[in-house]
Amino acid sequence: MADIRSKIADIYSLEQLSLKKSWVHDRHPLVKLASTFLFIILVVSFDRYELARLAPFIFYPVILMALSETPWPIVLKRFALTLPFCLFAGISNVIFERKTAFILMGLNISVGVVSLFSIVFRAFLCVTAVLLLIAVTPMSRITAQLRRLHLPDIFVTLFEMLYRYIAVLLGEASTMYTAYMLRSTEFKGLQMRHMGSFAGQLLIRSYDRAERVYNAMKCRGYDSFAARGKKKRLSAADYLYLAATCLPLIALRIIDVRAAYSIVF
Amino acid sequence: MHMADALLSPAVGGVMCAASAAAVVYSAAKTKKDELGEKKLPLMAVTGAFVFAAQMINFTIPGTGSSGHIGGGILLCAMLGAHPALLSLAAVLIIQCLFFADGGLLALGCNIFNMGVIPCLLVYPLIFKPIVKKGLNYRRITIATIVSVVIGLQLGAFGVVLETLASGITELPFGTFVALMQPIHLAIGLVEGVVMSAILCFVYKMRPEILESSLASAPIKSGVSVKKTVIVLAAATLIVGGALSLIASSNPDGLEWAMEKTAGTAELEASGGVFDRAAAIQGSTAFLPDYSFSNSGEESSPVGTTVSGIVGGVMTFALAGIAGFLISLSKKKKRDKKAQ
Repeated sequence: MADIRSKIADIYSLEQLSLKKSWVHDRHPLVKLASTFLFIILVVSFDRYELARLAPFIFYPVILMALSETPWPIVLKRFALTLPFCLFAGISNVIFERKTAFILMGLNISVGVVSLFSIVFRAFLCVTAVLLLIAVTPMSRITAQLRRLHLPDIFVTLFEMLYRYIAVLLGEASTMYTAYMLRSTEFKGLQMRHMGSFAGQLLIRSYDRAERVYNAMKCRGYDSFAARGKKKRLSAADYLYLAATCLPLIALRIIDVRAAYSIVF
Repeated sequence: MHMADALLSPAVGGVMCAASAAAVVYSAAKTKKDELGEKKLPLMAVTGAFVFAAQMINFTIPGTGSSGHIGGGILLCAMLGAHPALLSLAAVLIIQCLFFADGGLLALGCNIFNMGVIPCLLVYPLIFKPIVKKGLNYRRITIATIVSVVIGLQLGAFGVVLETLASGITELPFGTFVALMQPIHLAIGLVEGVVMSAILCFVYKMRPEILESSLASAPIKSGVSVKKTVIVLAAATLIVGGALSLIASSNPDGLEWAMEKTAGTAELEASGGVFDRAAAIQGSTAFLPDYSFSNSGEESSPVGTTVSGIVGGVMTFALAGIAGFLISLSKKKKRDKKAQ
């Protein structure tokens, strides 16, 4: 709890990556959104036992990560946080599906084990795809694109403001927590019976602050419903990106790579 | 409570995305029409950020990692009104999905529905509001909050069960899954409800006008909005229900299959006790009958192709790793050259 400030840095670490320069970063947000969605839909459209056919999809995150120079630790750390529920569902498959899928070096590998691996692997693919999208596309360009896709303006503005307010609010919480700890030296952390008033106080303070921020924005001529990004046309490079990501993915979905495996290996 | 892409089929994910998108667009239109809509925007943003921040500062139920979204939803409703609250909560869920990989992109529809639409458009108008209708006081606020949070969480958890089973990724029987999810969320709901009611009572003590104005704003003016909400929800439920049953019937791995396996029949009429007992019997007998070796005549793939599949998969990973490494290497070289 004391390290709220480090958490703030952690929240925005992914966004900082998006300010880098690379060929992938420069692409139009629309093509990146489209390829991410296509990737996820294709990955989850496979049957749950299709581990072998899913394997080649690893190329998408690996190559994009390398091209955009996104460091793996950030992505892996966040993936680890999402694991528990997937493991829970996967392990229940191991318990309930005991039919043998194949025998490997004298060991019976059950269908459930295959599906466990498949669930974890597809979770990995989906998580990295989404995090990659954010790591290579600045927030402002994503929201501008969402506006152009005719998402309700009020919702997109809310989304932007909410995202920025998180840091403000956590800063406020950190100040309050320090003050609380200085006043109550005999306790280690926040007392349960103070939780309601602590959180309530934080809420009211933020509420007031939000009003002040809003007034300040208005004074400077902010008009939320008019703020639209400049229209940017798709360039040849954008079409190239779209083709280079989507065509191989679709091909991998249609062609059964297992046949290729048995020919090559 | 956040559902992941990996446990979802595209059909279920798509249907739920459509339903949630409709609810969000409807709420956005509703909020914009409201005279105070634009002025409320910063308040919506900051309360949404509060729900998010509350989670960050370990304001979670210890041990379960429940993020307090449903409770947060009820809190937002009480402070902002139902439609702005849904927008705020949806924005929080999208941020969590994009920046923290908490809940998948395709699963967003499910998550917004379970944690946003259910508490904001269903539980709040149908349970919270009638309780506090006669006027606000601490007792009514406490009761209304706890009851709505508990019911909201139960419905949300049940939504997770239905959506997961309809996707057919997990093999967990319906009875076991429900028996696992509902009691856990009952406990979480109670704790969350108590904390949320404490916060709301504090807000009411300090700033009664915040709660009063949100309660007074939307429905009392016309009474139409509640009716419309119910119609929209009924339509959404019909669409979703219809689509889900279609998926379930066309996909033997889905909901129907799970029910057939647990209860021995595909009919929904099975009562709880019988259901549970059947699940228990199934659980105790499933170990042996299903346990068979590869020569049981099943269509399992021949060992030859499987091994080549594994080798192929490993080689694919290795190739991908090498490709990534080479690209990074060349990038680094380029950068070094530039630096010189």
